[in-house]
Amino acid sequence: MVRPGQEEYWQQTAREYGAALERLAWAYEPNPDRQRDLLQEIHLALWRSFEHFDARCSLRTWIYRVAHNVAISRITRRRKVHEPVFLTLADIEARPGPQNIEEEADRRQALARLLALVQQLEFIDRQLILAYLEDLDAESISQITGLSVANVWTRIHRIKNVLTRQFHSGVTHAK
Amino acid sequence: MRSDYLPDDLKRLWKELASSPVEVPAHDLRREALRLRSGVRMRNWFVAAVCGMLIIAYAVFFARSSTNLERIGAVLSIAGAANVIVQFLKRPGRRIPDVSATETTRFYRAELERHCDFHRGKGTGSWLLPLLPGPILFNLGVALDQPGIAAIIALQMTAFLMLAAIVIPLNLRMARRYQRRLDALDGSIRE
Repeated sequence: MVRPGQEEYWQQTAREYGAALERLAWAYEPNPDRQRDLLQEIHLALWRSFEHFDARCSLRTWIYRVAHNVAISRITRRRKVHEPVFLTLADIEARPGPQNIEEEADRRQALARLLALVQQLEFIDRQLILAYLEDLDAESISQITGLSVANVWTRIHRIKNVLTRQFHSGVTHAK
Repeated sequence: MRSDYLPDDLKRLWKELASSPVEVPAHDLRREALRLRSGVRMRNWFVAAVCGMLIIAYAVFFARSSTNLERIGAVLSIAGAANVIVQFLKRPGRRIPDVSATETTRFYRAELERHCDFHRGKGTGSWLLPLLPGPILFNLGVALDQPGIAAIIALQMTAFLMLAAIVIPLNLRMARRYQRRLDALDGSIRE
């Protein structure tokens, strides 16, 4: 049975948050096949969740909460806690970019490094930095994660510094 | 590679990651949601059907038993199987937090706790343990009553115990691993 509005909410989600959800799936699943599976699982969970979306929080908060929780549930089920990250430049090769070859190569390398760093973060830190990278404000992040606004700010500041430092130094060891 | 990326540049860079989101047709989601819902129901009915068959089988064994030990074993087996039916039909999704209503930190913690408890046998124990004494007593009764097949029953019991000796430590190790992650999470939140 489809609740009135369920399909509209989902259409809006796919339209406005499709790309962000794909990035979120990338951040949790290095393997492209599993990343597609996760993305489908997220969409399915969102579809089902819209049956009882009551607009008490914003649609964006709802979407990110569901998406992160589905990703957490999926990754936690796995027996290996830290899987090796097999991320090659080929994984992001298909994505469009600037015409200049040197600039394009530089961009791909930077993207690969950024993604690898995000994938190595512990879940809570990963959620925080993902939300930051997606331009969510501290209040929304607090509603999604359940951490206090002050805690969110402090932690994001710390992760951002570490991430930027690591990004520049090229050291990508696991946390 | 450039070495002058600032945090805001990283934001821009990050958004370049997804440029062609995967399209999931709405009718596929609708179908999958229905399939999932009926899948859970099917699983519960399957368990109920298997236990129902066990109840019928042990009722027959009870009627044909020649010793009290066998009869007690059969009655306990019937009670254990009935308990499994009640637990499974009552249970669906009871301990899984709602993905939309639970904050991600709380959800993560609940998931770790759930896995930890599962490997410690907390959930499983509630339906598996009451199921075990019945068949054990029944087999013991049969072995005492018919010494000719006692060796086969002893072999079955040994295999069962050996399996338990392997599975239990492995599960406890997994439980400890989840517990470490729980402790790390708690420590991280307290920081």
